[in-house]
Amino acid sequence: MRSLRLLACLLLFAVLVAGCDEKLADLTGPTPNLQPTFASIQSQIFAASDSNGRPACRNCHVAGGIGATTGLLLGDANTYASLVGRPARFRAGETLVIPGNPDESYLVRKLEGGPNINGVRMPFAGGPYLTSGQLLVLRRWIQLGAKND
Amino acid sequence: MTSAILQSALAVALAVGMAPTATAGSHGPKDEPKKPTTAATEPANDDAANTAQDDDPDKDVKLAQPDFTLVGLPTTLRLPRHGSAFRITHRFGRPLGQGDFSDLLQDGFGFDSGAVIGFEYRYGLFKATQLVVHRTNDRTVQFMVQREVKGQDGAFPLSIDVVASAEGTNNFRDSYTPALGVLLSREVGTRLAVYAEPFWINNSNPLPKELTDDNDAVMVGLGARLRLAASVYGVFEVTPRLSGYQPGDSQLAFALEKRAGGHSFQINFGNAFGTTFGQIARGGNDDWYMGFNISRKFY
Repeated sequence: MRSLRLLACLLLFAVLVAGCDEKLADLTGPTPNLQPTFASIQSQIFAASDSNGRPACRNCHVAGGIGATTGLLLGDANTYASLVGRPARFRAGETLVIPGNPDESYLVRKLEGGPNINGVRMPFAGGPYLTSGQLLVLRRWIQLGAKND
Repeated sequence: MTSAILQSALAVALAVGMAPTATAGSHGPKDEPKKPTTAATEPANDDAANTAQDDDPDKDVKLAQPDFTLVGLPTTLRLPRHGSAFRITHRFGRPLGQGDFSDLLQDGFGFDSGAVIGFEYRYGLFKATQLVVHRTNDRTVQFMVQREVKGQDGAFPLSIDVVASAEGTNNFRDSYTPALGVLLSREVGTRLAVYAEPFWINNSNPLPKELTDDNDAVMVGLGARLRLAASVYGVFEVTPRLSGYQPGDSQLAFALEKRAGGHSFQINFGNAFGTTFGQIARGGNDDWYMGFNISRKFY
């Protein structure tokens, strides 16, 4: 009878522990509120720097900015349209974001540093780059269809 | 309890330094003589070995099922009340297929490389109920309770145990992975035992659920232990994942094992390092690795 009670307690414990998932905030480090949605990535990656010292993408990728030559404008109302399904201007045959396919999305390769990229890894100034956790969130957004959510 | 742990530590230290044919400890299962154990000293026949020498039949050696685990999966062997057992698991990190045979030889078949090491202690809390603590050197700690529901006998062809466990990384402070399972075993004479062990593993994916499609897995451990000689066994297990999180290949392993007194010495080959349920659920890869298990019973 005691052993059955013990087993019941451990089953209950296992059920309780089952609710203990890892926290996304523990993974995303300098952007603890980052979520795999376009709005979240836009506001916390493209449009904002973070506590690691990573510069905001829109520092360069704005109309008139040094990154505007790529045709990729990040951090304003045109971001989604200039990103998803759009060809990479300086890399023929590549698409910046292919919904559902982060591995083949050129944006991911530029942010991860390759392979097969033109120019250098982004951000341009030699880092700090996106953390592995931030990149996982970006990849997840693309994997989920790169929705304008 | 404390003395049992000290006994365990002492015996493990002795076990590591002894050859497989070394003297059995003074606390081995009671059918084992206190003299050098070799195949020649094994019981003359199976019936003799199975003869109860104590009021508690759980203390008898089960020739078809001599240990509490296969390679990584549990068996349905009962631990006597207040008995205990200790196990070391060791998986070398060098893939056996890396380089040519000369490279492998120069690396001592992997002995020169780092390893995933586990320490396990199990204790018979009550009759047919055992509590297990297993820690691996990536700081994963697993607590498990195993309870026999029905034993194999003349009227019933299977042994059925239920298992509940919870493991956590960072010394059980992060990333918890609970598991529930049923162990089904069938001993065929004194030569063979076969196993089917369905498990549900929650939170087997180490990533947060926002980044994953599946966060749990259903897997079935399938295994067998065949007694090849008086105290030598061949062991096999494979753990296909049926649904949920299924990275890589299913964990697969085979082993050769020698029972000597209260010890079991096992050399194993597998495609993964997993020894906890969460680790097993995460699967293996295309490479093969060598490892060993050493276990010791204290009853």
